[in-house]
Amino acid sequence: MTIRLGGIPALLLLATASAGPATAEHLDVPNLFASVCGFCHEDGGRKAGKGPRLMNTERSDEFLRNRIAKGRPGRMPAFGKMFSDEDIDEIVAYIRALEPREEASVR
Amino acid sequence: MRKHLLLTAAVVGFAAVVPPTGPAWAVDPSRLENAAKNPNDWLMYRRSYEDWQYSPLDQINTTNVKDLKVAWTHTPGRATRGLQSMPLVADGVLYYSGSYSRLFALDAATGELIWSYIPELNEDLIAQQTHSPYNRGIALGHGNVYVGTVDGRLIAVDMKTGAPVWDTKLVDSEKLTVGFTGAPIVVKDKVLIGAQGGEWPWRGPIFGVDAKTGKKVWEFFTVAGTEEAKKTWGNESWRTGGGGGWMPGTYNQAKDIVYWGTGNPAPLYDWAGPDWETKGPRPGTNLYTSSVIALDPDTGELVSYFQELPHDAWDFDSAVGEFLRIERDGETYIVHPNKGGYVYVYDEMLNFKNAWPLVKNINFIEGVDEKGNLIGRRDMREGKHTNLCPAIAGGISWNSGTYNPKTGLYYKVGNEWCMDLEIVKTTPILEPMAQLNIGANFTFTDPEGGKAYGHVDARDPITGELAWRIDFPEPPLASLLSTGGDLLFVPDARGVLRAYDARNGTELWSQNNGLGHNGGIISYAVDGKQYITVAVGWGSLVGDAYPDLFGEPYKSMATDQGWLVTFTLPE
Repeated sequence: MTIRLGGIPALLLLATASAGPATAEHLDVPNLFASVCGFCHEDGGRKAGKGPRLMNTERSDEFLRNRIAKGRPGRMPAFGKMFSDEDIDEIVAYIRALEPREEASVR
Repeated sequence: MRKHLLLTAAVVGFAAVVPPTGPAWAVDPSRLENAAKNPNDWLMYRRSYEDWQYSPLDQINTTNVKDLKVAWTHTPGRATRGLQSMPLVADGVLYYSGSYSRLFALDAATGELIWSYIPELNEDLIAQQTHSPYNRGIALGHGNVYVGTVDGRLIAVDMKTGAPVWDTKLVDSEKLTVGFTGAPIVVKDKVLIGAQGGEWPWRGPIFGVDAKTGKKVWEFFTVAGTEEAKKTWGNESWRTGGGGGWMPGTYNQAKDIVYWGTGNPAPLYDWAGPDWETKGPRPGTNLYTSSVIALDPDTGELVSYFQELPHDAWDFDSAVGEFLRIERDGETYIVHPNKGGYVYVYDEMLNFKNAWPLVKNINFIEGVDEKGNLIGRRDMREGKHTNLCPAIAGGISWNSGTYNPKTGLYYKVGNEWCMDLEIVKTTPILEPMAQLNIGANFTFTDPEGGKAYGHVDARDPITGELAWRIDFPEPPLASLLSTGGDLLFVPDARGVLRAYDARNGTELWSQNNGLGHNGGIISYAVDGKQYITVAVGWGSLVGDAYPDLFGEPYKSMATDQGWLVTFTLPE
């Protein structure tokens, strides 16, 4: 499954996605964090923000899958209708693989 | 105390009581147009079309404010994300909305319930929304109370009984995700309300609805609402442009125009950086986002506009601010704060006059020139950037400041915080339902050389000249109130309501309300007695950043509670 492309041509996404283009098989989770999840889970999930830090979370995979699918009223939206079980598995895999960033930035 | 007669419940699950037979139940357009002249009532968001958020009442003053006591409290229940709304008062009855657009009418002197109306909302949709289920206010007029809902409806209920009058679906929220959280306003024979937007890939309409029938009369798209505007969105990016006038504007009776502030374009950040005129996700200036607009209230046609941030690349809406109408030296000025931290000054037709910074930590621009052009824009390309100020939450948030005509000062909260970000090329997600489109990973930071904090400034509204300032360890996020008793009320983030001498900032009284403030505050009178009512409740999206930024008391502050507290002087 892929990020839904809406009115934007797929080629544009393939040409512009910085964190690796979405493919028909894989959800582009880093890109998803920069458009949606990062509003609350800062720095790609590496830091707390409006929501908790996800990197090194002690929550179980089952908890994470359930929270992504069902959300928590007033705290986190439910994404169970947005993403398939396979998509959610990829999001959980992304969270499990999170590591601190290399320090390098431009002004 | 008034006597009430019990009636059969006319609305969902609650008993109704006959309201007091006041002098005039109809809040008609002429009464709204003269709202500033009636000291007893608070008839609309920010009290009158002049948008001053000021009460002329002076029974509570700098001498006796120390004696204020709680008169009554009321909780709306189910206060998910606290209580963010502005109560209204007409003829001794207080009306307010809680989360999920729960409506209440109370005896304004005692807090006794007159009626309630609990609309049934699409709970399945609400569970999927980010900016939900709070409600920020209501409007009165034509015998009705009007409220928007997060599932895209505008509802009218009878202000005497709470019985539903009409219920109009205006937005396909099940597809577009967003609905209404901001208060409507009544202008002549119409109710006006703006949809949420900004981060969401849509076109942020403002609606004009017949106040008596609920029929939609007009719809103005803040994104590409005219052919001229459509040309400012390259590659048909207007289709997913964002916008949204998510806070209420106001009405200028003399000019017969409505002012409204619009939201930012989507995505919030633009990987094209300085090449935004021809490249990136939304090439062009992106009219009418991050703009102030003047509309014909009868038709919704655009009369005038000024785009405060052409091609906003920082999420600094114009939706946040009030439109103070101030006369000075024979001229009428419109004063409008922008989320970026500058306060803009216009004439009545929104011709730019000048702009002044309320906030110290601003580096997304170097300034605003004498024509209103941005100087030294910081247009950031794809990649990492540090110390962008202010942070995404803005130098100015959505709650209202207050203008006091006695002191001639404008009191407004400024926020001092910054952030690091990594700008990323993103694609709008539209199916099966629209999602946020931010375009960056970000993290809040302290300003260079200090901690994040907030301040309440007392300034000349036209020139910005500072009279005095009070610093707060965390930015207050509630509306302010000033009164004819020379008082300034500041409901702070920790939960303490403070009263100051509006002339010099001396603190005169405080009361811990037990939970952060993030909503409205008003003053009114019943039977010759003055009251102050403040919304208590914590849990807005800006407030959600406080636990990580500031620690306690925010880490353990409830975000599912809320109540009104009303104060008055002892007998």
